[in-house]
Amino acid sequence: MKTLTRLALAAAIGLAGSAATAEGIYTPNLSYRTGPFAATGIPIMNGQADYMTMLNARDGGIGGAMIDFEECETGYSTEKGVECYERTKAEAVVTQPWSTGITLQVLPKTNVDMIPILAPGYGFSPMANGKVFQWAFNPPASYWDAASMIMQYIADGDMESLKGKKIVLLHLDHPFGKEPLPVLEAMAEAYDFELVPIPVGLKEMQNQSAQWLQIRRERPDNVVMWGWGAMNAGAITEAVKTKFPMENFIGVWWAGHDEDLKQVGQDGKGYKSISWSMPQPDAPLMADIKEYVVDAGLSQQEDLNSVFYQRGLVISMMLAEAIRAAQEMHGVTEITAAQLRDGLENLNITAERLEELGMTGMVPPFSTSCSNHTGHSGAWMLEWDGEKFVQASDLLAADASFITPLEEEKAAEYAEANAPWPVNESCE
Amino acid sequence: MELLNEIFVAPFADMVAAPDFLLQVLWEGLVSGVLYALIALGFVLIFRSSRILNFAQGIMVVFAALTMVGLHEKGVPAWIAVALTLVVMFGLAVAIERAVLRPLVGQPDIILFMATIGITLFLIGAGEIIFGGENKVMITEELGIPTGDTVLEPWGGLLILQHGDITVVLVAAALVLALLLFLGKTRMGRAIRALGDDHQAALSVGISLQTIWVLVWFIAGIIALVTGIAWGSRAGVSFALEVIAYKALPVLMLGGLESISGAIIGGLMIGMLEKLFEIYWGGPLLGGNTESWFAYVLALLVLLFRPQGLFGEKIIERV
Repeated sequence: MKTLTRLALAAAIGLAGSAATAEGIYTPNLSYRTGPFAATGIPIMNGQADYMTMLNARDGGIGGAMIDFEECETGYSTEKGVECYERTKAEAVVTQPWSTGITLQVLPKTNVDMIPILAPGYGFSPMANGKVFQWAFNPPASYWDAASMIMQYIADGDMESLKGKKIVLLHLDHPFGKEPLPVLEAMAEAYDFELVPIPVGLKEMQNQSAQWLQIRRERPDNVVMWGWGAMNAGAITEAVKTKFPMENFIGVWWAGHDEDLKQVGQDGKGYKSISWSMPQPDAPLMADIKEYVVDAGLSQQEDLNSVFYQRGLVISMMLAEAIRAAQEMHGVTEITAAQLRDGLENLNITAERLEELGMTGMVPPFSTSCSNHTGHSGAWMLEWDGEKFVQASDLLAADASFITPLEEEKAAEYAEANAPWPVNESCE
Repeated sequence: MELLNEIFVAPFADMVAAPDFLLQVLWEGLVSGVLYALIALGFVLIFRSSRILNFAQGIMVVFAALTMVGLHEKGVPAWIAVALTLVVMFGLAVAIERAVLRPLVGQPDIILFMATIGITLFLIGAGEIIFGGENKVMITEELGIPTGDTVLEPWGGLLILQHGDITVVLVAAALVLALLLFLGKTRMGRAIRALGDDHQAALSVGISLQTIWVLVWFIAGIIALVTGIAWGSRAGVSFALEVIAYKALPVLMLGGLESISGAIIGGLMIGMLEKLFEIYWGGPLLGGNTESWFAYVLALLVLLFRPQGLFGEKIIERV
């Protein structure tokens, strides 16, 4: 029966793909449900789709306009991602590239096509600088925020205590995996710790014995992982195998997937992952998701309480709130891409608003502005207790005094390298 | 001068200073090498009997492992799931022979190669629709594969031997031995070899091409299942396993496309040498991730001197 459902959904997605001009606000998602990264993609894409389905079913869309949420499958391939962008851009009010590689490719194009990029928690970290990256948004936190928060957690708030320590960065050998390097290198210099980057090739994701032999030889104090897809399970199983102390192993938010940790179960106890979202099984939103989507047979998700599924819900909430803000700002129902850009720039996700949405505790409150396209919400440290992820810290905050100058520097470098690059001088 | 030291002195000094670590590197290389050799064997068997470079070998690994895990998820006991998976792989072999290979008999090799790319794409699509793209947990314990480890302290150091890895090495060795016996001592095995040696002569003495093709694709399916279980028990079963098959290509270049012993020795050589290079030279000097290209460079170097690979048959053509 499940197979038949899958076939029916695949056919439906195929039909949807050929009818990109359906009624409503067209919000394509450059998804990756296939290939080596599908394990990460599927629950997130399910969460994103289910939130929009729920809004359409419960509220009749947003502000009277239905949401036409379509997926274009990239398999996490940069080439296919660019194809999807080109195919969907004519009608789209937003593009969600879903890979740092794709984001970097479409970033210059969106300036010309005037379509906002929404890259929640991924992409090029200096996109936070709205003055330079007028069409790009990466709320609620960037990779550099993640690196800063992880290092602060390791240092227990006292960055000077990192002096003399050795930190391994185990990262995918891909633009995504290399993204935290500038900030970690700067931190290593500022706080006098040794940073040892160890790359994992795409073909080696499931066979990381060489990387973990190197880690054994380096004897680091901590391993920080920038992993995605199949790399995460590969790293975690090797860490168990080589008896690396799990409490000293921390992953970025895409390396905190329940299914990856289930590969090792109790042996993974103590592994941590920074996360700007937190599952809230009892949140009122989850009751609505169940009533309007799951019970109606419209969801492909089995575990509604997994970290990644609920993060997908949060991501679509951000887009929905931006659409709502754009409608209110411009007094229209059917918005344009330029109007959505204004909405994304005026997101105000307060604790009160989260309560109204039935999402208290699912994401920290944050807001964006003309100059701040990230929001820098902060994040929690989650810990694997052998069966599920649980909260292991209060809300952590990135060190803005360290990150903001670096964002400005790298944004200016990007603008110069891609000159002539339009800069919004009116943005304070 | 410092560079010369890093290349010619420091790595060997490291090996001598920490021999237990060197042993661990060699062991991990051996385990990887055994698995590369297994995948390469699947390629060699099909190439010997049909001159087809089977691009679908990688996806067959994924398909076999997913079928087995998928059946178990439906409540089928582990060993019955293994048996049913073998039935599925046999059905796949029959279907491939009937629907793809038979209509293409006599076509140029490149057409048959392209057909295997088509099979790959079909299996990816069908597999993702039937099983989904999520990473699945291998049923290691249910299959009786041990999960503990033995910790040794050679020279006062540390050597960790995973029982699962030991099992993989032993099972792979048994499978290779069984395969060699089958090819050397049985009628069907000799028919496969005859077909590999001379297609026309083999057909003229009544060897059935169709039967042999089904047989070799089925054996490749069995190898795919064993490989899938072995790799899957390391980091789960997902479509990411498919890329591991590409590691077998340099093994084939090194060992020769037609040589079973070449596939085994080539696999072991690449498994161990790429680990040694990554740990002692690649990581310190080149920033790591040399495993993604080292095997190809090694194979190309061998091809410079022996175009037929280390164990391939020398091609002599009268002009």
